[in-house]
Amino acid sequence: MGLYKFRPVPSGRMGTLWTLASIRGAALLEFGCMGHMLYGRVFLERIGVSDACRLYATHIDETDVSLGGTERLSRAVADIAERDRPRVLFLLPSAVPEVIGTDLPALCRELQPDHPDMRLIPFGCGGFDAGQYRAVREALLLLAKTLPVDAEKTARPTFNLIGSCADIFRFQADAAELVRTMEGAFAMTPLCVMTSDTSVAQIERIGGAHINLVFRREGLPAAAQLQQRFGTPYLFARPYGVQGTCEWLEQVSQITGISPDRSFVEGQREEALRLISPALPMFRHIIREHPERGRISAGGHADVVKGIMSFACGELSFSKGVCWCDSPDMADEELPYFTEAQWTQAIGSHGKALLMASGEALDWAGRGTELQIANPDVKWRLNPYEPPFVGFRGAVHLTNLWVNAILKEEF
Amino acid sequence: MTSLGHLKRLSAVRSSAGVKFLTPCAFPGSHCPLHPALALAGNIRGLSSLVIGTPECAVYSRVVLPKAQGDLHWTYVLDAHEVVFGCRKGLMDTLQKMDQAGAKAVLLLGTCVPDLIGEDIEGLVREMQPRLSARLISVMTGHFKCNSYPSGSWKTLKAIGALMAPREVRPRVVNVMGRSPDETHIPMPPLLRALLERGFTLRCLAPGSALEDFLEAPDAAASLVLSPFTDPLAADMEQSFGTPAFRLYDIYDPAEIGALHAAVAQRLGIEWDNALDDERPALLSLQEQAAKRLGGLRYVCAHTGPLGALPMAAYLAALGMEPLLLHLEEFWPGDKRWTELLNARGYDPPVCHMVNSDSDAPLLEGLSPALCLGDLPGARVRIPSVPQLSDLYGLCGYERTRSLLERILRVLDGPAAPGERRAPYGTL
Repeated sequence: MGLYKFRPVPSGRMGTLWTLASIRGAALLEFGCMGHMLYGRVFLERIGVSDACRLYATHIDETDVSLGGTERLSRAVADIAERDRPRVLFLLPSAVPEVIGTDLPALCRELQPDHPDMRLIPFGCGGFDAGQYRAVREALLLLAKTLPVDAEKTARPTFNLIGSCADIFRFQADAAELVRTMEGAFAMTPLCVMTSDTSVAQIERIGGAHINLVFRREGLPAAAQLQQRFGTPYLFARPYGVQGTCEWLEQVSQITGISPDRSFVEGQREEALRLISPALPMFRHIIREHPERGRISAGGHADVVKGIMSFACGELSFSKGVCWCDSPDMADEELPYFTEAQWTQAIGSHGKALLMASGEALDWAGRGTELQIANPDVKWRLNPYEPPFVGFRGAVHLTNLWVNAILKEEF
Repeated sequence: MTSLGHLKRLSAVRSSAGVKFLTPCAFPGSHCPLHPALALAGNIRGLSSLVIGTPECAVYSRVVLPKAQGDLHWTYVLDAHEVVFGCRKGLMDTLQKMDQAGAKAVLLLGTCVPDLIGEDIEGLVREMQPRLSARLISVMTGHFKCNSYPSGSWKTLKAIGALMAPREVRPRVVNVMGRSPDETHIPMPPLLRALLERGFTLRCLAPGSALEDFLEAPDAAASLVLSPFTDPLAADMEQSFGTPAFRLYDIYDPAEIGALHAAVAQRLGIEWDNALDDERPALLSLQEQAAKRLGGLRYVCAHTGPLGALPMAAYLAALGMEPLLLHLEEFWPGDKRWTELLNARGYDPPVCHMVNSDSDAPLLEGLSPALCLGDLPGARVRIPSVPQLSDLYGLCGYERTRSLLERILRVLDGPAAPGERRAPYGTL
C-alpha cells in the first residue's frame, strides 16, 4: 500500500461491511475496536444506507489483545440474540484481531450451539492483502452459499439483481432503472436486489428466480453458485446506452425465453433517442471541429468505465481519452489500473477532454462533481432517486451531462 | 434493581481500563482517539498530518478533515508485509516527500495496527528530525488502549507542546487554552472580557489557532485552562516554562471560583474591581435554594460530551446529590482527586462507559433515579433528563454553575415528558 495523498483502496473488511450493511433482517458484529464501525456507520449513512442491518462492534482492549480474550464477543453475541433476535448475525473481521490471529470461524462454531435461532456467519477477507472488490465478491458468494433455501421457481417469472452494492457510486438509482426496465419489458419483478435493497428472507428465496442479472463482475461467482444449485441461468452485463440497453434486453429474452413487450421497449427507445437528439448536432460539431473536446476520459470501477465508454464511443462517436480502473485485480490491456500517482498525472495532462471519475478526483482537479461516476465521494448521497447511468434513462442522463459539460467549456 | 455487578466502583478504578461497558454491544459506540487528533491537525494552521494504519483509518478519517488549505494531510497504509516486518522504510520515504512538499510541521498519527505491532514511531521521529526541515511530532492513537476519544486530543496537544521553546515572558499576554480564536457559539466568559478590558492580549489555543500561536505560548504570563483536553499541555508548560496554569474547567463551587479569580488577579498584578462579582450573589442564592431541593436526590450521569462528569459530580455531591451511576468518557490521570472528594462526601458510585443508548436506557431506568444528567443519544429515556450539558463546555465561573443548577431545577420543576417516570426525589 504505502503513501496516499487521497483515499486509498478500501480494505476487504470495508468491502464486506459495505456489502452486508444494506441487508434487512440481519445484524452484523465486528469483533474489534469500535471506532471503525462508528466511522463505517457514518460513511454508510452518507451514501444512503441506514437502518437496514443492525451494525454493532464489541470493542477490544489490551487485555483481550494480550490474553486472546474473546468474552466480549460471546457477551455481545448473546446480547444481540436476546435483544434483537435477528435470524442471522454476520461476523465481520477486524484489523486488530486479524493481527493477533483470532479465529473468527472457530469462535462462531463454538458459539453457534448456544444460539439455535440465530445463525452465525463469519465473513473473510480480513487480512491485509484483500481489497474492497475481492471482499464484495467473496461476501456475495458466501451469502449465495449459506442463506438460500430450497425453492421452486416462482409461478410468474422473476429475476435477481446480483452485485448492486453500496460501494458503487449511485447504486440505488442504477438498480432502480434496471428493475423498472425489467418490469416494463418482461413484467418480471425482482426477488432479490442483492444486496442494496434486500432482506435475509429475500436472499433465502433467491433460488426461485428465473434469471440472475449480474450487475458487476464480482457477482459472477455467486451467480455460478446459484446456477449450480438452482439451475438459474445468469447474464453478466451492465447495460449502458440506448442500443446497449436494447441488446441487453434481447439477451435477457434469449436466456429466459420470454419475449419482451415490444411496445414498451420501442417506446423507451424512441423516447430516449428523442430526448438525446437535440444534443447530437452539438456533439458532431465538437467532435469534428474541436476533437480534443470530443474525447472522454474516465476512471472508476472497471465495469462502469467500460460500459459508459461503450455508449460514448460506440453510440455517440466520442473518442476515448485516458481510461483506467480503480482495482489492480480488474486491470487488462483495454483498461489499466492507475495508481494515485498515475491518475493524478493523467488528469493533470488531460487538457480539455471530458473527465468522468470519482468525486474526490474531480474535486481535486477543480472540475466540479457533475461528471462523477465513481467513489470516493465528497458529498452526502441521501437521495436514492437521482438519475441513473444505466438503461434508457441513464443514456439520457449521460447525454445531458456531456452536453452541459461541453457547453461549460465552450462558452 | 438491575445488577451492575460487572462494573467497578469509582474508588477501585485506576485507569480507563477499569471503566467497563454498561452493555456489551457498541451501537454506535465511541470515537477512537484518531478522531480528535485529526480534527486538531486539520484545524491548526501550519500543521500537517500523516495517518499511519489501515485503509479504514485512512478512508474514514478523511471525513474529519476540512478541505486542505495549504497543509498536507496524507496517509500511510500498511500492507501485509509491513504488518509483520514494520513500515519504517516506507515512513522514512514518506516523511522525506512531505518535507520536500513543503510541510512545516508533521503530526504522525500511529493508529491501532502500528500501535499493536510496536512500530517505534517516536524513535523514527528522533532519527529523522535532523534530516528534515519540517518539525516532527507523533502520537499513538490505538483505540484498544482506551475506551474513547479524549486521549487523542490531549496527547496531540501535548505533542505540539514538545515543539515549544522558552520565550521571554510578556506580562500582558495570557493564553486561553481550549477556546478557538474564531469562537462564535460559546459566549466569552466574563473573566476573559475583564482581561480584554484591562488591556491584556488573549492568545486562544484551540482548533482554529495557528501552530505559530502554540509555539509563542511560553511567552504568556499565565494560562487559563477552559478545557480538560488542554490541561495536560498546560501542566507541561507549567513545568517546562513556568507558565502558571489556572484551571477553570473543573470548578463549580462559588467560593473556589472566587479564590481562583483572586489568584489570577494576583498573578497578573491587577484588580478586578468587582468586575466578576455581578453573578456571585445570584448564584449563592440559587445554590442555597438548590441545596434544599437537591439534597438526597439520586441521579445517573450519561453522556455530557467534553464536560467532565467527575468534577460536576463532586460539586453536586456537596449539595447532597447522590450519584447512582456515572458514565466516564475517559478516566484521566488526575481524576483520583475527584474520587477522593466524592468518597469524602460519602459517595462511591459504580462507573461505566455507555456505548449503546437503546440497551443502556432500560438499565438506567431500572436504577430508579430521580434525574439523568446528560444524554443517551437516540434513545427514549423515561427519566427526567437534563440534556445537552455539553453546552457548558468552554464556559467557566459563576455563570456556568448557575446555568447547571438552573437546568437541573428547570427539569425538576417542569412538566413531565410523555411516558416519563418520575421518582419522588429526596426520598428514595
